[in-house]
Amino acid sequence: MARPALKRILLVEDDPDIQTVTSLALGSFGGFEVHICGSAQEAVAAAGQFRPDLILLDVMMPGMDGVDTLVALRGIPATAAVPVVFLTARVQPHEVERYRELGSLAVIPKPFEPTALAATIRAIWESRA
Amino acid sequence: MTTLAVAALAEEYAAALQEYSASGSEAALARAYRLGRHALSDGVGVLEMAALHQIASARLGGGAPAPGRAGEFLSEALAPFELTRRGLLEITAHLEDANNGLQRRLAEALQAFETAQDELVERRRIEELKNEFICIISHEVRTPLTSIHGALNLLSSGLGGELNEQGRQLLEVAYRNSQRLVRLVTDILDLQKIESGSMTFNMRPIEVKPFLTQAIEATQGFARKFGARLALAAVPRRAFVRADSDRLMQVMDNLLSNAAKFSPPDGPVTVAVTRNGGCLRVSVKDEGPGIPEDFRGRIFERFAQANAAAARAGAGLGLSIAKAIVEQHGGRLGFQTATGSGTTFFFDMPEWDPRRGAPKEAGPWPAQP
Repeated sequence: MARPALKRILLVEDDPDIQTVTSLALGSFGGFEVHICGSAQEAVAAAGQFRPDLILLDVMMPGMDGVDTLVALRGIPATAAVPVVFLTARVQPHEVERYRELGSLAVIPKPFEPTALAATIRAIWESRA
Repeated sequence: MTTLAVAALAEEYAAALQEYSASGSEAALARAYRLGRHALSDGVGVLEMAALHQIASARLGGGAPAPGRAGEFLSEALAPFELTRRGLLEITAHLEDANNGLQRRLAEALQAFETAQDELVERRRIEELKNEFICIISHEVRTPLTSIHGALNLLSSGLGGELNEQGRQLLEVAYRNSQRLVRLVTDILDLQKIESGSMTFNMRPIEVKPFLTQAIEATQGFARKFGARLALAAVPRRAFVRADSDRLMQVMDNLLSNAAKFSPPDGPVTVAVTRNGGCLRVSVKDEGPGIPEDFRGRIFERFAQANAAAARAGAGLGLSIAKAIVEQHGGRLGFQTATGSGTTFFFDMPEWDPRRGAPKEAGPWPAQP
């Protein structure tokens, strides 16, 4: 059976400028349906209705950081099994190791090339086990 | 000398003293002296003779002082002991001096050790501060840089609509420099990882030919801007190395980009692979102006720049990082250059035998991670 296509991406990112760039890169440029949340609380509240295929998660956020957000999203049925990709400037080896231990699908370091972001995420989606 | 003989001697000695005391006879005194000397020669102990002398003197009575000269044989007998005693005193004094000196030196050494320990603690503190600073800067710079670089990247793709010629030029300047800034931040982080030993390597067998083809394809667009033509010369069949593919690609990107930057327009940049013993040598040859002689010795130093034109091309960290990465793979990065006719950068790495899962030949390779 063919894998379901990747359509809806939930972006959890507190920086409004990066929200703009990322949503343009994935939406207008990449052709995905993107829902932007500025915090973990917003993401948890929106996940049930938006039903994302994939979650793109920043790490450094005030209040609950990306790791806590991942744990919170795993705790609700709508996102319990949704693949997560971290999009972060925190890419020291021990940090990347921690993301992998938490079950993230991949880590995309900031700064990234927005014109290549959609293709990168598609490749990650296709290569998942 | 028997007890009887000693007793007789004591009597004779006392008598001689008695005679001297009564008459002042020098001959009696000399006799007492000789008796003492002979007794000592015959084996009577010095202490025993001293006691006999005391007893004989006491017997003189009337408080008359014992004639000092009679007992001179005792002083003579004791002279070596006196010398020994003085020698011992001198040695003791020397030992005390030496001991004091040693104690002083020990105190100084302890002081120096404590100072060195304090300096080490201080250096570690500074190192931790530096790492923390780099981490903070890394995040604080990368976050706004993500927006700037991202926005320029999308604008360059035409997402915001068509720009006029001047607009395109200005956008290109801004985008090119944001790329430089991204590279600089990434390089500084890489250096920090290398220095702190936290750079990790995902080592796998890599077949060299497809890997180099991919490296050339990845850099072709960049090289075209400088009019350089990248090409792959013959590569030995089934040649493998064991490496972290991303990190080795970073090395190739650096060598190919440098060669392209310094190539004359339409100049060839040739990548070649040769087998040498248990080693594979990957070389990147350009036909540029060659490396200035006074720069060759410091080309692998951080922030090293040959001249202002080179400084505009990069921060001067790439080669230093490439060298560290190659060395982490148990290899060696070097170059050959001639003014006016070009430069060849190369790296040697142990050739890997994928069937045995080991280097093809045992060699003096440093351990791989």
